[in-house]
Amino acid sequence: MSDDKNEKKVHGIVAEYTSVDTLLDACRRVRDAGYTKTDAYTPFAVHGIDKALGIKPTVLPWIVLGGGLAGLATALAMQIWMNGINYPYIISGKPYISLPAFMPVAFELTVLFASFGAFFGMWALNGLPRFSNPIFTDPRFDRVTDDRFFLYIDAKDKSFNQAGAEKLLRDTETEYINTVVDDDTSTVIPKFLITTLITVIALSFIPLLVVARMRVTTSSQPRFHIFPDMDFSPARDAQQTTSLFADNRAMRPDVPGTVARGELEEDLDYLTGIDMESLTRLDADRAKQLVRTYAQAENGEPENSDATPKTDAPAEEKSVMDTTPWLKNNPVEITKDVVLKGQEQFNIYCATCHGRDGRGNGLVNQRAQQIMASSWIPPSSMHQESLYAEQYPDGKLFNTISNGIRKMPGYAGQIKSKDRWSIVAYVRALQQSQNASLDDVPKDQQAELKAKKADVEKALAEQAEAERKKEEERAAKAAEKE
Amino acid sequence: MSNHAPAIKPADDPAFTLPATLSALSIPLCAGGLLALVGGWALGSFGVDVQFGMSAYLTAFIYCLTIALGAMFFVLIQHISRAGWSIVVRRVAELMMVMVVPMAVLFLPIVVTLWTGEGTIYKWDDPGYAEHHHIPAEVWANKTIYLESKFFAARAVIYFAIWIALAVYFFRGSVTQDETGEKKITERMQKWSAPALIILALSMSFAMFDWVMTLAPMWFSTMFGVYMFSGGILAAHCAVAAGTYLLQKNGAMRDEVTVEHYHDLGKYIFGFVFFWIYIGFSQYLLIWYGNIPEETIWYWHRQLGVWGALSLVLVFLHWILPFIGTMSRHVRRQPTLMFGWSVYILILHFIDVYWCVMPEVYEGSGGTLAAVGGGIGIVASILCAVGMAALMIGLILRIAGQTRVAASRDPRFGESLAFENI
Repeated sequence: MSDDKNEKKVHGIVAEYTSVDTLLDACRRVRDAGYTKTDAYTPFAVHGIDKALGIKPTVLPWIVLGGGLAGLATALAMQIWMNGINYPYIISGKPYISLPAFMPVAFELTVLFASFGAFFGMWALNGLPRFSNPIFTDPRFDRVTDDRFFLYIDAKDKSFNQAGAEKLLRDTETEYINTVVDDDTSTVIPKFLITTLITVIALSFIPLLVVARMRVTTSSQPRFHIFPDMDFSPARDAQQTTSLFADNRAMRPDVPGTVARGELEEDLDYLTGIDMESLTRLDADRAKQLVRTYAQAENGEPENSDATPKTDAPAEEKSVMDTTPWLKNNPVEITKDVVLKGQEQFNIYCATCHGRDGRGNGLVNQRAQQIMASSWIPPSSMHQESLYAEQYPDGKLFNTISNGIRKMPGYAGQIKSKDRWSIVAYVRALQQSQNASLDDVPKDQQAELKAKKADVEKALAEQAEAERKKEEERAAKAAEKE
Repeated sequence: MSNHAPAIKPADDPAFTLPATLSALSIPLCAGGLLALVGGWALGSFGVDVQFGMSAYLTAFIYCLTIALGAMFFVLIQHISRAGWSIVVRRVAELMMVMVVPMAVLFLPIVVTLWTGEGTIYKWDDPGYAEHHHIPAEVWANKTIYLESKFFAARAVIYFAIWIALAVYFFRGSVTQDETGEKKITERMQKWSAPALIILALSMSFAMFDWVMTLAPMWFSTMFGVYMFSGGILAAHCAVAAGTYLLQKNGAMRDEVTVEHYHDLGKYIFGFVFFWIYIGFSQYLLIWYGNIPEETIWYWHRQLGVWGALSLVLVFLHWILPFIGTMSRHVRRQPTLMFGWSVYILILHFIDVYWCVMPEVYEGSGGTLAAVGGGIGIVASILCAVGMAALMIGLILRIAGQTRVAASRDPRFGESLAFENI
């Protein structure tokens, strides 16, 4: 049988067995004869075959361990980078880098990568994928999927010689030994396979083409929603209405008897900017009214009525404002942080009208002048004597920010009282800055300022020089023409 | 594979009987264990205070009970999966499983203290608890429908009735087979193992709610029963491995238990080490993320002082160390090493139970040394656990002396002898 195949390349020798025991016995003999490039083919997993064939323990566990560690590292790095560094986002009030929250993903990726290690590692170690094996040419090999066991000795084995191997196998309990030779069937890929493959590839482009087309065209159809509850979140935004509560407000006022975080203020002086003790002596009724107003606010009712009683006549208002015993000093301890906070809040809330420099020429004012708005009352400049601390005490300024004046609305609803006091502190600093001399600046910053001043002067001088030169040139040209 | 199965030993084969050296240990172990248990309890009760003594007792009780119930799970799982590999070691688990019978007696002190109200550790029995902890009356009224001492005792009777019935049924079946070798017995036990597993899982979960979780009356976690199960089944596998190893070293078994069986037990131990942290962490994660004070308080107590240190001990020494330690096949195929790891995990399982029970004795103590009862308290806690464990081992040896230490006439005994992993 093997004679007529001798011209073909010999890959190895295969022997067939009918039971596990005979196969294991043959495996041991082949192993003891010194063969290492061998393999056994069985219809099911056979315990002990590794030992019988002398197969060394696999390195696969190490690949799996490496995969697992890589998965763990990937998951942690990914989450720390995404949620902690690249896009810091507070979820459920937890820190950006919050290990317990990262654990489920870390666990899953560890398992996933370890499984990949096991699966693809097994493929790599077994030389898969492999579409054909010379042993398939053996006419009886198909029965390996049913009830036969095969032992194969590869011709590439160092100690392989055909006669010796055949003799060795013949001594085992086998009735069938065959030489495995090259597969002589055509290596040309069948046409129908190629056609199918090309069709599948072509068809697979359709979704991509559809996507590409959709991206460059417009449509009058509304987009369809795969997850409608995610596109239209039932959560309400600020200022929206809801049918959930009797008052239809989505924003809930504080629960009566509770104080929001950071809103636990010490006393009424702090909240009103008024020296309440003096006010009680001067105007007991007004003091009582104020106490009532703030007690109500604490009980969950929004602070509607102004701390300053509304009066019809402007003249009278002026007198009330003047007679009120305003706090002379800012109750908040002035530190650099407080002033910086005040600057931040001023630039957010006040600067649109009053301007960043406080001169009263913010963007809103500029626009109002531009369109000549008839009802526009220009915002005050902070830099007039009537607004300095001597004439306009800190408490009064705080009251103006809180409750507004003329066209200016009150900001008590938007800005926390502590921040309003910070703004007061910043406005004082702003006023000072306009009348300051170099001596007011700390010594260590004077040099810096001087250098800056020199730079600016130099730049101005250069500019003036350039202008002058241009002017001269123009004059010279004009003279030439004449 | 039954390709080269050794011949099954006849019924009168002297193999698998307990050697006299081990039988002789039974009475000293029982007596010494009982003495240590009572001593530990007395030391805790009179050296620290009555609640502390009972808590130390409960720790020891839960420690032994979780292992016994874990062993019952092991036996039932072998039956339901028709496992062949484990027949040679199944009797060891069966012997541990019948310990639920003496455990029922050992439960009496807990129920008696609850009824007399003298030194009970269950604070829900205290009528002033709700007021003292500002619990709304409505909530408390609903809680106390379930947390009521008579109902509590009635439930305990049901749990023990279930466990004793299961233990006796499966133990007697297996022992009867030693004499008759009937195949029918195996088939019958297989059939009943499925409902038995369901009943056991539910009863164990509820027992752990009742006896451990309600130590903190307002705290609840639906996973708690599973958490205790995960520790118990891990410890049971360790106890089977360690017990088999000791029996083999002392000549009760010879080469019937091979490297392959230790390898398989090792695989289970490795797996259940992770299962334990999986369940423990899942419980923690849900509570941590939800961040509801009534739930987080349990973990908060366990993050302070001594308890905080023990929490870290559990994470690093109950999970990471044995997880890495038993990961390699080479370790799992060394019976001596697996014996070492088993004993190690059995010790850590005690710390796990201790960590569940003891912080509730003085809630809000902040984990100071006084919270563990000082040096006396630590000695008392350990003495109780060692005493009860010794008592159990003594009783196991007593029963083992009257039967065999392996189910040698199980129809799959040959398969188990010839079992190979690779």
